[in-house]
Amino acid sequence: MAPVKLVVDHLTAYYGAKPAISDISLQFPDRKVTAIIGPSGCGKSTLIRCLNRLHETQSNAHVEGQVILDNEDIYALDPVRVRRRIGMVFQKPNPFVTMSIYDNVSAAMRFNGHHSRDETDKAVIRSLQQAALWDEVKDRVDSPATSLSGGQQQRLCIARALAANPEVLLMDEPCSALDPIATSKIEELVGQLKNDYTVIIVTHNMQQAARVADFTAFLYLGKLIEFGATEDLFERPQQTLTESYITGRFG
Amino acid sequence: MNPDPLAVTGVPRGYDLLIRHLKERAMKLGEFALAMVHDGWRAFDEGDLTAAQDVLDRAAQLDQMDEDMEHASIAFLVLRQPTAIDLRTAAALLKITTHLDRMGRLGFDMARITTSGTNGQKELAELHGLLQQMDEVVETMVRQSLDALGGDQVELARELFQRDDAVDRMHRDANRMIVESLEEHPEMAPRLASDLLVARHFERIADNACKVGEKTIYALTGQRRSEYLPRHPFRPYVLETPTNQTTRSRK
Repeated sequence: MAPVKLVVDHLTAYYGAKPAISDISLQFPDRKVTAIIGPSGCGKSTLIRCLNRLHETQSNAHVEGQVILDNEDIYALDPVRVRRRIGMVFQKPNPFVTMSIYDNVSAAMRFNGHHSRDETDKAVIRSLQQAALWDEVKDRVDSPATSLSGGQQQRLCIARALAANPEVLLMDEPCSALDPIATSKIEELVGQLKNDYTVIIVTHNMQQAARVADFTAFLYLGKLIEFGATEDLFERPQQTLTESYITGRFG
Repeated sequence: MNPDPLAVTGVPRGYDLLIRHLKERAMKLGEFALAMVHDGWRAFDEGDLTAAQDVLDRAAQLDQMDEDMEHASIAFLVLRQPTAIDLRTAAALLKITTHLDRMGRLGFDMARITTSGTNGQKELAELHGLLQQMDEVVETMVRQSLDALGGDQVELARELFQRDDAVDRMHRDANRMIVESLEEHPEMAPRLASDLLVARHFERIADNACKVGEKTIYALTGQRRSEYLPRHPFRPYVLETPTNQTTRSRK
């Protein structure tokens, strides 16, 4: 088992008085990909949004329990600082539409303080390379972000998240709006990103979880049902609920 | 609201029907192979060349059934992308198919060494009785392996391993008797050489029946052999030399 990067300890997240996830405890290994799977409404996105304090930005939402990043409870830290260390990519590509490709990636650096043009250039190139987009855009980094295809826009968003130098990358169904070719590029990219980052990916697609994740967590009705090595979970799950879900024996 | 999966587990689905269909095909292949073993031994034992030819003529059909079964299992894996018990069953059936085919092949091999007449049975009554006993135990094992597979019976599959030990003992006894008989009746060397092969074929058929049981247990429980039946510690075989001085080991 790899060292642990992020610990979720008895976490319950509420919308108003109603818990969306209940008493979840889970450890995310460092520099591994962990997938979170489960049916719609099971709390996958809520859980991932608790990991960088996005959940609490919604009205009437709050959490109980702890999320510990390298021995620090993120709920005791400045949320902006937390989000710098724990980046996020969303379901639909959401580049800054009025900005160029270059400006999209450098935006995080600008928001985080002054950097020289040289430093920024290097960081933009590094981030675009890490997001496997550099070769496709190196001759047109000043073009609008909206000139890119959907798959390229999603990789641009990944590059933008990486430019902030995060330690953990959260991905909330990053391929659900993409075609199979763009999806396979993102999946390949995820496999490379884990060399440098801890990746946590929410997906509806179990085959995708099997392809990209080292570990998989199965959530159902807001509870963590099973967590384990992906191979074990898909080959011989320990819980009947997991077996029922992954074999399609739900309803 | 998601339905309670426990309440709907076991509802027949397309998956279940396909797996049932795959299992039925494997059972047919197994019955075909068992008949080849039964008839191959009878032909050899009775020196019935017509019966032997009949067994030899089934080889092409055995090959075709093996290939069809393999194709159906791979198609199921590719098209349905099964997980958990469905995955284990499809993977197990792929291996089981090979073992069933091998059993049929060993029946074929017994038919192939059939010679006219039953010469030697009177002189070698004890050996003949032992081979008949091996046939009974081995055919029972093949039947039992098919029943375990078709009826999802883990305990029945587990019993095969004890029977296999008995077959191994009989095989060793047969070898000893054959060596002794060769000294007493050198004129019967051709027949004894065939008996040596038949005893070996029975021992191999029993091993294949055990493999079918092993894969059945894996499909049903996810357990691999080493988890419930630790392999014997490595025991070097000592080859005796005329002076009994030199020893060497092999796997």
